[in-house]
Amino acid sequence: MEENKTRKKTPKKREKRADKGPNQRLRQRTAVLIIIILVIGFGATLLRLSFLTLVQGSELQEKAVGQQLSDTVLTAKRGSIYDAKGTTLAESASVWQVVLAPINFEKDTQREAAARGLSEILGLDYENVYEKTQKKNYYTVVKRKIEVEQRDKVIELMEKLTKEYDCGNVIQLLDDYKRYYPKDTLAASIIGFTGADEQGLEGVEFKYDDYLSGTPGRIITAKNARGTNMPFQYEQNVESEDGKSIYLTIDETIQSICEKYTAQAVIDNNILNRAGCICMDVNTGAILAMVTSGGYNLNDPYTLSDEAQNAISQLPKDEQADAESQELAAMWRNKCVADTYMPGSVFKMCTASMALEEGKIKDNSSFTCGGYMRVEDYDIGCSVTSGHGTQTFLESFCHSCNPAFIQIGQLVGLEKFRDYYTAFGFSEKTGIDLPGEADDSFWPEGQMGMVDLAVASFGQNFSITPLSMITACAAVCNGGYVLQPYVVSKITDAQGNVVKTVERKVKRQVISNETSKKMCDMLAAYPEVNGASGGAVPGYKVGGKTGTSEKIGIKKNISSFGKDYIASFCGIAPTDNPQIALLVFLDTPSGGAYYGSQIAAPLFTEIMSEVLPYLEISTDYSEEDLAYLNIPAGDYTNISTSEAVDKADNDGFIAQIVGEGDTVVSQMPSVSSKMAKGGTIILYTDNTTPHEKVTVPDFKKASAYEVNGIAASNGLNVSFNGAVSSTGIAVAQSVKEGTEVAKGTVIAVTFKANAEGGSSD
Amino acid sequence: MAPNKRMLLKGDLNRIYDEKIRNRRRREQSGPKEKFFVRPTRQRKMKNAKWFAAGMGIDLPFCIILLILLTIGTIMMFSASYAFAYYTQDDSYYFLFRQLIFIVVGIAAMGVMSFFNYNKLHSIAPLVLGIAYVCLMIVLVLPAGDGGVKRWIPLGMFNIQPSEIAKFAIILFFAHWASKYYDKMQLAKFSVLPGLIVFGSIAMLLFLEPHYSGIVIIGMLTVLMLYIGGMKTKYLAIGGIALIGIVLMLAVTGGLSYAMSRMDGWGQALEYTTEEMWQTTWQTRNSLYAIGSGGLWGLGLGQSRQKYLYLPEPQNDFIFAIVVEELGLIGAVIILLIFALLVWRGITLSLRAKDKFGKLLGIGLTSQIGIQVVLNILVITDWLPNTGISLPFFSYGGSSLIMLLAQMGIVLSISRTANIERQ
Repeated sequence: MEENKTRKKTPKKREKRADKGPNQRLRQRTAVLIIIILVIGFGATLLRLSFLTLVQGSELQEKAVGQQLSDTVLTAKRGSIYDAKGTTLAESASVWQVVLAPINFEKDTQREAAARGLSEILGLDYENVYEKTQKKNYYTVVKRKIEVEQRDKVIELMEKLTKEYDCGNVIQLLDDYKRYYPKDTLAASIIGFTGADEQGLEGVEFKYDDYLSGTPGRIITAKNARGTNMPFQYEQNVESEDGKSIYLTIDETIQSICEKYTAQAVIDNNILNRAGCICMDVNTGAILAMVTSGGYNLNDPYTLSDEAQNAISQLPKDEQADAESQELAAMWRNKCVADTYMPGSVFKMCTASMALEEGKIKDNSSFTCGGYMRVEDYDIGCSVTSGHGTQTFLESFCHSCNPAFIQIGQLVGLEKFRDYYTAFGFSEKTGIDLPGEADDSFWPEGQMGMVDLAVASFGQNFSITPLSMITACAAVCNGGYVLQPYVVSKITDAQGNVVKTVERKVKRQVISNETSKKMCDMLAAYPEVNGASGGAVPGYKVGGKTGTSEKIGIKKNISSFGKDYIASFCGIAPTDNPQIALLVFLDTPSGGAYYGSQIAAPLFTEIMSEVLPYLEISTDYSEEDLAYLNIPAGDYTNISTSEAVDKADNDGFIAQIVGEGDTVVSQMPSVSSKMAKGGTIILYTDNTTPHEKVTVPDFKKASAYEVNGIAASNGLNVSFNGAVSSTGIAVAQSVKEGTEVAKGTVIAVTFKANAEGGSSD
Repeated sequence: MAPNKRMLLKGDLNRIYDEKIRNRRRREQSGPKEKFFVRPTRQRKMKNAKWFAAGMGIDLPFCIILLILLTIGTIMMFSASYAFAYYTQDDSYYFLFRQLIFIVVGIAAMGVMSFFNYNKLHSIAPLVLGIAYVCLMIVLVLPAGDGGVKRWIPLGMFNIQPSEIAKFAIILFFAHWASKYYDKMQLAKFSVLPGLIVFGSIAMLLFLEPHYSGIVIIGMLTVLMLYIGGMKTKYLAIGGIALIGIVLMLAVTGGLSYAMSRMDGWGQALEYTTEEMWQTTWQTRNSLYAIGSGGLWGLGLGQSRQKYLYLPEPQNDFIFAIVVEELGLIGAVIILLIFALLVWRGITLSLRAKDKFGKLLGIGLTSQIGIQVVLNILVITDWLPNTGISLPFFSYGGSSLIMLLAQMGIVLSISRTANIERQ
């Protein structure tokens, strides 16, 4: 159509055709004209309009809306995370974000003033802020999560800009929230943390992000090209909906007990590759505590430990960034869920369950151990090279005898063994509501030989997560029910209404109730027989099994033992009515010992001896245990001396009268002080006699019996804490040695289970 | 030309239509109600058509289509302009009010022109061309208007755009020329030569304003008039080939994209290159945003957002972008169909004019509308560079609207004489 002709001057007359008169020609040419204008011309416009509206429409509309709408996001408050008792573990608090509407700037002087002010107040780079003031939109975030003091300064700046530069509408302060974790490092690997946009990045924060994050609201206002609202009301408000709150099954007290002792065990045993600990309610599958040692501060998740930072700073420059991100990933990693290990002898509880369930064990069944056992072409050794001789089923378990369990495994048979392995839930993920659960590694169907069965019988050469091990342990003792473990017990909305509760979920029953009962007895026998090296907890009926597995196929020979081991202990309490299971594992010890019985069982004892009283599990003290029980002192004042002596004697204390009077006026230690039985109560009968001073001796390294003696000879009392038993040794005292204290003062002495003698595994 | 094409033009439809009407009349004994539907054609000699046919004899369908377009155009002009008017003139009705005055004047002019014997124009055609030249020269000596261009002669209440007069003058002059020298139009001396002289001189004057779109339209009208006036197709072909050759050469040497970028960022409205270019393409880009936002069904009448100062001067050349935004592709298609009907009707009725001059003049005047519609939409959709081409009956503007309606009056006058002659 748009041809703009240049015509040639070649006048040449040509004969008209007979049938082509002037009118005829005009009609034809008009037809051509109509075709060109109406068909080609209008067709082209229609084509173009259709393309723009139908094909490019949404894209263009998006851009149009982008410039027309001033969209203000109302951040939703993220839900809190509480522990089982309602203690706050994570919450969001109000902060502000500074937002620019740079399109409202008219002059560079305004931009400069705003950029200078903001960069000074917020501690940002001037150039960077200035760049943001040059954008052409309504919403450019300058800084997020500023606190009250900074906010007040920004308000001042806004006033100044309005007065001096006539641009009050360029800076906006929007409500925002910041995540706080009041307990810092507690349960870091479970809770996880959030990113800059409050999006969950790890742990429960990640897994339950949809619930926690809520729905952000928006205020949408239509603006004309000058940035003022259009004269006709066009505003749309979408209220933000705050996130839901989550109650964990984690109990803060149990969690901190577990963390405390695990951290100590890592230091004591020079654990090179972190340690872990899981405490589970065996009847529901609820996780009461889950620890990965070397945790991090949730309020500052990107800061590595000094140790790790030093190590990284010694690397070449170009490797530092990679090393740092690896180190961070390791620090955030929930070892109990995301890592696998070989369970070792702990797995014998499963093998034993299979044999019992299959009826392969008769009352008179016996197993012989000659220190090793030959399977096909391999000699598989026992921890006691001289052999255990002939043993009953229970003895084999308590001896943790490998050859016996090879025989038990053979009784079960390859096929059944595999079936039970699957039924116990090892071949599947436990389905816990935490991210990053690892898969097991087992022999594929048809590739498992008799040698493999032999080593699998005592938990070697296949890998499972610690979580699936404790889930199986729970099944062994809770009547055979394989449960789905979980960490979130309920979800409530912002008003506190319960949105979702998590119930116990039974996947299947793997062994019968009877077998489970028998297994509880067997597990109970292990600490009974092995004492401290079997995880015995004074006063409580606990059961369990140690494990020491050699790490195969992973980075080797970094420990002081030439080989890398994982020492573990998995146990239950109480054995007559199992309530909780506890699994502790120490990856790559490089200290004094590496056997589970030497380092993992004492850790189990320490944790259990604090957790069980907390859970108010009924006690069952033996004679020996009672000797180390702390009892409270009574009130012996305001009664005659003879009465006081009798009363003290009844309470189990020896009274010592000081002074001339007939009536007791004061006593040392004071009423309700808990102290060891047989301690001395100093009873003062007047107020004139000076209180005698004594020097605190060093109780450390002494046994409980010795501690009692030292205390008595120094005129002091003691209270027993920690893993007290006949073999335990004192490791700490509440008052430093050499300090002068009043006679009769109670010194708290902490004991540690001494399992150096035990090495059966 | 194949004979069936001829039939099409001659009016198969017309004949079928007449047949129907005759049948109906036979059935219904013709009542007075029918008269509105009766087209006054030469076949009709009925009394009941007198009401219109005898009184004025103008072509009713053409007139109705025209008024429909004018109504829709005015509503859309108001819708498109009120936000802009509110912000710039503090009065949402500023443009509507003025446009209504222009419409009244324009309709009056149309009525007058429809009674005016267009044959009188035959003799004054060279005079009109002369007036156009004078106006084109006057505007050059007047001080420059907005943007440093000299396109308007201010006349108090409204401005006169000499290029509008030039467009009319070109059509009129070549209709006069071709009907006068119809037998000699085969000769280059009588077709190509005057074409080159008249177009060349006007183009030169428009170039000085500058007003490139005016040059394009005048060029097209010149070619159109010479073509239907009987110029040999050979010259057209030579000219076309030459033009294509030049474009191809530019494309190969890369000159085309250079020319495109020089033409106010033609085709680059959506890509950000430089801040300056971004500002230059602002209008086209926002036009595309508006069209895209409309989608199939549009945002609804009055619901455009782009008219809120995003699209500068939405009541002028880019009004159709707002139309698409509000009425969607559906609305655009309907409006384009009405335009097409108008052009179709205008051309076919002109063919029935009693003389060659009337035929050529009518075809030229109606074709001009079609050309402007197509060019306008191709501009707002960024297929042609952003040059001032207004949309007939829609765009705000006094002189062009009055001129346009007056020209339509001439077409009506042609329809009247054609019918009267045949009765």
